[in-house]
Amino acid sequence: HLSMANPMSYNGGCVMAMKGRNCVAIASDLRFGVQMQTISMEFDKVQQMGPRLFVGFPGLATDTQTVFQRMQFRKNLYELRENKSVRPQTLMNMISNLLYERRFGPYFVEPVVAGLDPISLEPYVATMDLIGCPMEPEDFVVSGTCTEQMFGMCETLWQPDMSPDELFECISQAMLNAFDRDAASGWGCHVYLIERDQVTVRALKARMD
Amino acid sequence: MLADWTQQEVLTGTTIMAVEYNGGVVIGADSRTSSGTYVTNRTQDKLTPLTEYIYCCRSGSAADTQAIADHVRYYLDFSRISQGREPTVRYAAHVMQSILYNNRDNLSAAVIVAGWDEVNGGQVYCIPLGGLLVRQPMAAGGSGSTYIWGHLDAQFKPGMTDTECQEFVAKSVSLAIKRDGSSGGVCRLAVINRSGVQRRIIMHEDLPKSYDG
Repeated sequence: HLSMANPMSYNGGCVMAMKGRNCVAIASDLRFGVQMQTISMEFDKVQQMGPRLFVGFPGLATDTQTVFQRMQFRKNLYELRENKSVRPQTLMNMISNLLYERRFGPYFVEPVVAGLDPISLEPYVATMDLIGCPMEPEDFVVSGTCTEQMFGMCETLWQPDMSPDELFECISQAMLNAFDRDAASGWGCHVYLIERDQVTVRALKARMD
Repeated sequence: MLADWTQQEVLTGTTIMAVEYNGGVVIGADSRTSSGTYVTNRTQDKLTPLTEYIYCCRSGSAADTQAIADHVRYYLDFSRISQGREPTVRYAAHVMQSILYNNRDNLSAAVIVAGWDEVNGGQVYCIPLGGLLVRQPMAAGGSGSTYIWGHLDAQFKPGMTDTECQEFVAKSVSLAIKRDGSSGGVCRLAVINRSGVQRRIIMHEDLPKSYDG
């Protein structure tokens, strides 16, 4: 069997996020594997970092856990010092900073940030590369081992100003059909729908192959 | 700056298996071919006819195994004419072996030849990488087979009926599909006996269920 090969595809997995009308959605597959062997089907790469703020760290699983833990630490200190909830844009900047600190020996994750601004409730999505170069588009972001497939699905299905129900349907179909074409992703999916007054988590019934 | 998968050969990552029963054989396979991690075909048929009563299950390089199966089919068609009867499964397996063994340095192919003939009934012949030929009552191959050897050893019994064999193969392929990233899609089954071949597809949602942890 191969030794490490490519750290970005060693464990597999994918995350995407989309903007809707006064809402955002973020979704993650559930596979954790070692190259072609699937070890767990319960490894969600998306975690909550605030009442309306979620982050996903697809890539090397050890770095998924470490980067999240280190970001928790920095976010908690920020909120204690500033006495306010961190804004999504600011959190994105903090993650970018954490990753660039490791410019020449990076963490092998390509994060996705999705949330609503705590005050204005403006929807926000962002992604960055493994050394922290940010991208804040107006529509959707994708990251993981099947980005080509996810881009194709998102470009086709996404429209501006979708309602929460439409957004849920859109991101679910985009995820399912993208990771069904990737041997290193899938085995279940969690979709988080974030609105001003509620956050809904749903588990999709997916192919387990 | 081309995508990773465009630089990689198409492989039938795969789970294949074949089981003898009293009166014939049951063969099964998944339906995924991949190029790196990209799934190039999710409905591939890896159960390839060599004659009306003899099939082969293919794993390894898709190009190699398709080309070799075509060659074997040609030789067997010819031998049907020259010998005046259906070729035996043993003969088909030996034809396959001689191609795989003599070209072993240049090929990446492992097959299972299984079928029925008048002389010895249902037979399964396993030809792994390198070109060894061995007859076995039950054989499994491909990357997915490694995940189910324990299950096969624990659950296989000689003298099963046709239906029990089909359930056994479906359950085994289903377990391998779940754990092996290179196997997936549907489970294709075929039963080969005196009356010929009956093929079945079991869709992903109808595969036997197991723990999702």
